[in-house]
Amino acid sequence: MDELFQSRRMWRRHELKPHYDVAIVGAGVHGLATAYYLAKEHGVRKVALLEKGYLGCGSSGRNTAILRSNYRTVEGIPFYELSLKLYEQMSAELGWNVLFSQCGHLTLAHNDSGVAGLRVRAENNQLLGVDSRIIYPAEIRRLVPALDVSSGAHWPILAALYHPPGGIIRHDAVVWGYARACDALGVEIHPFTEVTGMETARGRVERVRTTRGDLAAGAVVNCTAGWASTVSQMAGVPLPIVTHPLQACVTEPLKPFLHHVIVSATLHVYVNQTDKGELVIGAEIDPYQSYSFRGTLPTLEQMATYTLELFPQLHGLRVLRQWAGVCDITPDFAPIIGRAEDVVNFYMDVGWGTYGFKAAPGSGKLLAALIATGRAPELLEPFAPGRFRQGRLVGEKAAAAVSH
Amino acid sequence: MRFEFNGTPVEARPGDTVASALYRAGQRVFSRSFKYHRPRGLLCGAGKCPNCLMQVDGVPNVRVCVTPARDGLVVRHQHAYPSLDFDWLSLAQRFDAFLPVGWYYKTFRSHALWRAAEPFIRRAAGLGVVPADPAGEYEHAFRQADVAVIGGGPSGLEAALAHAGAGSEVVLVDDQPELGGHRRYRKRAGPEPTDLIARVRSHPAISVLAGAYCFGLYEGNLLGVVQPAPHARCRERLLHLRAAHVVVATGVYEAPLLFPNNDLVGVMLSTAAQRLIHLHGLPPGKRAAVIGRGVRAEEVLADLRSAGVETHLLIAPEEVERAEGAASVSALRARGERFPCDVVVVCGHLVPDAGLLSQAGARLDWNAQVGAFCPAGLPPTMSAAGEVTGAGLSAAAPLPAPVAPHKRAFVCVCTDATTQDLCDALGEGFDHMETLKRYTTTTMGPCQGRMCQLNAIAVCARQTGRGMQETGVTTSRPPNPGVTLGALAGPRHHPIRRTPLHHQHADRGAVWLDMGEWKRPRYYRTAASSDETTCVRAEYAAVRQRVGLIDVSTLGKLEVRGRDAGRLLDKVYTHRFSDLAVGRARYATLCDDHGILLDDGTISRLAEDRYFLTTTTGNLDFVEQWLLWWLAGTGQHVHIANVTGGLAAVNLAGPLARDTLRKLTALDLGSQAFSYMACRQAEVAGIPAILLRIGFVGETGWEIHVPAECGPDLWDALLDAGREFGIRPFGVEAQRLLRLEKKHVIIGVDTDALTTPYEAGLNWVVRREKEDFIGRHALSGSPRSPRRESLVGLVVEGEQTPEDGSAVMINGRPAGRVTSARFSPHVGAPIALAWAPEAKAVEGARVEVRIRGRAVTARVTLEAFYDPEGARLRA
Ligand SMILES: Cc1cc2nc3c(=O)[nH]c(=O)nc-3n(C[C@H](O)[C@H](O)[C@H](O)COP(=O)(O)OP(=O)(O)OC[C@H]3O[C@@H](n4cnc5c(N)ncnc54)[C@H](O)[C@@H]3O)c2cc1C
Ligand code: FES
Repeated sequence: MDELFQSRRMWRRHELKPHYDVAIVGAGVHGLATAYYLAKEHGVRKVALLEKGYLGCGSSGRNTAILRSNYRTVEGIPFYELSLKLYEQMSAELGWNVLFSQCGHLTLAHNDSGVAGLRVRAENNQLLGVDSRIIYPAEIRRLVPALDVSSGAHWPILAALYHPPGGIIRHDAVVWGYARACDALGVEIHPFTEVTGMETARGRVERVRTTRGDLAAGAVVNCTAGWASTVSQMAGVPLPIVTHPLQACVTEPLKPFLHHVIVSATLHVYVNQTDKGELVIGAEIDPYQSYSFRGTLPTLEQMATYTLELFPQLHGLRVLRQWAGVCDITPDFAPIIGRAEDVVNFYMDVGWGTYGFKAAPGSGKLLAALIATGRAPELLEPFAPGRFRQGRLVGEKAAAAVSH
Repeated sequence: MRFEFNGTPVEARPGDTVASALYRAGQRVFSRSFKYHRPRGLLCGAGKCPNCLMQVDGVPNVRVCVTPARDGLVVRHQHAYPSLDFDWLSLAQRFDAFLPVGWYYKTFRSHALWRAAEPFIRRAAGLGVVPADPAGEYEHAFRQADVAVIGGGPSGLEAALAHAGAGSEVVLVDDQPELGGHRRYRKRAGPEPTDLIARVRSHPAISVLAGAYCFGLYEGNLLGVVQPAPHARCRERLLHLRAAHVVVATGVYEAPLLFPNNDLVGVMLSTAAQRLIHLHGLPPGKRAAVIGRGVRAEEVLADLRSAGVETHLLIAPEEVERAEGAASVSALRARGERFPCDVVVVCGHLVPDAGLLSQAGARLDWNAQVGAFCPAGLPPTMSAAGEVTGAGLSAAAPLPAPVAPHKRAFVCVCTDATTQDLCDALGEGFDHMETLKRYTTTTMGPCQGRMCQLNAIAVCARQTGRGMQETGVTTSRPPNPGVTLGALAGPRHHPIRRTPLHHQHADRGAVWLDMGEWKRPRYYRTAASSDETTCVRAEYAAVRQRVGLIDVSTLGKLEVRGRDAGRLLDKVYTHRFSDLAVGRARYATLCDDHGILLDDGTISRLAEDRYFLTTTTGNLDFVEQWLLWWLAGTGQHVHIANVTGGLAAVNLAGPLARDTLRKLTALDLGSQAFSYMACRQAEVAGIPAILLRIGFVGETGWEIHVPAECGPDLWDALLDAGREFGIRPFGVEAQRLLRLEKKHVIIGVDTDALTTPYEAGLNWVVRREKEDFIGRHALSGSPRSPRRESLVGLVVEGEQTPEDGSAVMINGRPAGRVTSARFSPHVGAPIALAWAPEAKAVEGARVEVRIRGRAVTARVTLEAFYDPEGARLRA
């Protein structure tokens, strides 16, 4: 209770030092999680988080915060499950409520091949111990009475993949909670400190240039999501990543009526209602590459159209804000985590596209282990940067493309 | 005119809004606040705050101060239990000590605790209730103009006339029911622009959209404009207005001042009071205390007095101590005195309504003189006119003013954030406007920041010592004001595509399958049976033993013509087509740069410079665009015509197909003269047709394309001709079974977003030696080099057929998946196409398939289940 009444600073300000053990570029949820586990589990505390804007200004403060582990592949499922479990413990671990509401997640299928796609996931989930199953209209109607499950709907709902442990979290709370914990462990958080370049020699990053001065670090970690390819380029590491905007919008609050996350891959839309009563609606990525943060009218209209396909009664509800974030998309819709092949002290945790928030605790924990011990944990291996050269892609694309 | 409010009738006069009629009837409480459920009354009177949100005709969160009163409206309060005047949840404010900013982050510090508490917090959330009414008519419209002027006040009117006078086509948008802007209710601010309005109204080059609001400015000067009720059958119309030049003349809106109890019912902004007086003939109260200084405050004072309101002398903003009252205001304390009153009129900050400008990239610079953030650095395609520029304004109160943290001085009326909350948050390190906003949720409520942003910046600036300019505004995002989902979605069209043979199928008892927009027969009911399995089995048997007919009109059909047509196809498809002989057809696959299969079909060469392509049903548009994309800029002579809608197509297949077709054409159909993978143009039943000798289902067969309007004749003729042979139409389900026995792959069903032709067992479709084609780099390695997995055939033990998508396992671990499975009458067992690890892609290998949670053994087969040599296909 004490903490309720005291207002301690969540994180302190620091001067930039000339040397750190680890310098992490990007203080989104991935950078923060990596720093947190480095300090907490490996005692690496001379860590600097270099962030060009305010804390959480990237996708970590713009996403729709859907968490789930009902992925499709044997590589993906245990990896996301690890994060989900860490999220369940996070409030207690950080002493800070991250508002994780495990309300359940439904992915809808509107045609036969959609149902088959869901079944692939349900089967693999069950075999690997993730709570996930296919449910049919009668049960869907019981869970989500607001949904139009009539067979006359233009996009009839034939089945859904029901994932009870999935849900939504307050993204900012995760960012702030991690930041507070990092600060308490001695990690330095440097907002408004943009990395502008790197000097490499003999296969190492020797210096990192920032808008507040230069520094050197034992290890440099790229956690910059939408800017990942530009930052890796500074270290001379090309990435097969393209950046696309992803948009979302939020409506006025309504009395609670929707208690699950609803995703339709066919309709490219996902909807949930927050604890404040607002509906949060997300779109698929914009069809073109861009770094633009400006919302567009066609995408907003599409989000509205598809939302009304599922919930026609909401036509009078007002959208209050739309926004965009930039997503780093890899060819196989799986992340790139690990050490660069040719630059020995340069690490990456990028390629998170439209789905990286849910994975941050797990990937931060595993990457911290790799940086601290030099050995890649088994769960990370499928996501190694070298896989594109070796033609070993991860088969998440079929499931991840729009289902956040 | 009379409407219903919470069940009681309320009289309204012409020109009334719902709020003004209620006000006249004595209603003062219009809503309850979000967090503490404090009673709230009219604050802005202009549709810009959260204080008058009600449920109107079932629609939640409607601002009744800008909703015209209409006969028969049904208006209800929302978010108060049981009533506006008494609300149980207002007890929440008694516990405010336990509800400081961010309390929920700090209180429920374990997942279990939060899981227990969340449902209760959730229940208290939200404002209006979800309407039950699914109907709602909305329209979209599109319009272009040389100049769009947003705002119909004096400066907007002048700008419209000036541009129209210079020869431009002008559209003027204003959100009030009448033109005139603030002069409609600020009568002492200047003369009424009656003459300007008349000139604008009569100018042939100016169209006026009054009562319409512009909610956003998007890339390329695209304005989103909503016109409520443009006609009787439409709730709202969304106009997409694109203008070469946009003049923003949106003026200012008024924002509150900070003092304890500044949210009491009866504390209202001066423009709200002026609207009541001048637009509705309503004195806002009996006795008013007016906070303000200077000319504008004098103007307000005079308005109040002439409306018969008793007033005290002006009270300067710095002198205010607090407002007093239980629910409604009863007095104002200032300069050590108590001023009894039933309304406090606040001359607040005038804020330039510059959202559209900053959405377009303009800066907002702090100007202490006028006490406002004023737009600067406008893009060349925009300009600003009037008060939105800051011209003519003077500061209502100096900013940033000293802040006394107080639990009842509300910065954000939407979410009940107070100066205390903001100061606490700043102390915790949320000292950037963007983080402050997210932590306190200030500016994120229904007012979209209009009531609170300036005050929040001022508090932040004061407490951090950074100044207004450096503190800065947060990003302005559309839509602002908010727009309904219905208006955004527009009319809900659901086009359905029917093939030219649709009625033939309907007459024969087709059961439909939706494939995208298309309707296709899944199977046909017969007099004997309507059971799917029985019917499909009979259709299957007809094709295998006699002859069957299926409508394949939904296939995408493209004609690619020209000297360089072969070159283009060589580039885009993996196989070679420039060397295809005239009169021959070839299976065709298309990959992306990563060598991943995107589509398949056939390509036939009808003449030296004329190819006929088919694509899968769903991918037609993509393939057409893909071809055009790769053609663009090459200078090649190629024309691509989409002929899908113009042709009907059927597939006639089975051992007696030849006998059937022979009755209708003069063509030599012998297996030499018209061999497998040949194509011809000839007449069938007197109809000009393209015939392809191909066989997806694995029997002797022809795909026949004819002009769409002749489709029904061809269908009937073929069925007539085949009657003696026992012909039967078959649907998609039988086709899927037939092709599965042949192990023919369906792209997108049996393949996924990472499948290469090699993995799908289609090595022969890739001509690696070709100089270039899309995907060549990725496919240049050996077809055997590391594969993720392989597509194999499975024969499943036991009776049960796995469902599509079932897991393939090895020792209980997931190792692959079934993509298509059916019971095969030919094999006498369930068969499947499935992805399995490379090591298991061996004839006779064993894997397990998971059927309803149980592992069942299956045998791998690499050959087709039916006629592996293709003898029947070629016969
Ligand atoms: C609209 C939207 C909806 C989404 N929905 C979901 C969802 O429902 N579930 C889910 O799991 N994921 C979702 N995502 C994806 C998810 O938000 C991201 O994958 C995740 O937040 C990435 O976290 P991050 O820490 O890697 O990146 P970010 O949070 O983007 O952090 C990267 C940081 O790097 C900083 N940076 C960049 N360049 C530099 C530089 N040169 N120097 C210093 N700092 C730099 C940036 O300012 C930024 O703060 C969504 C994304 C968007 C945009
Ligand atoms: S009083 Fe109606 S919106 Fe402010």
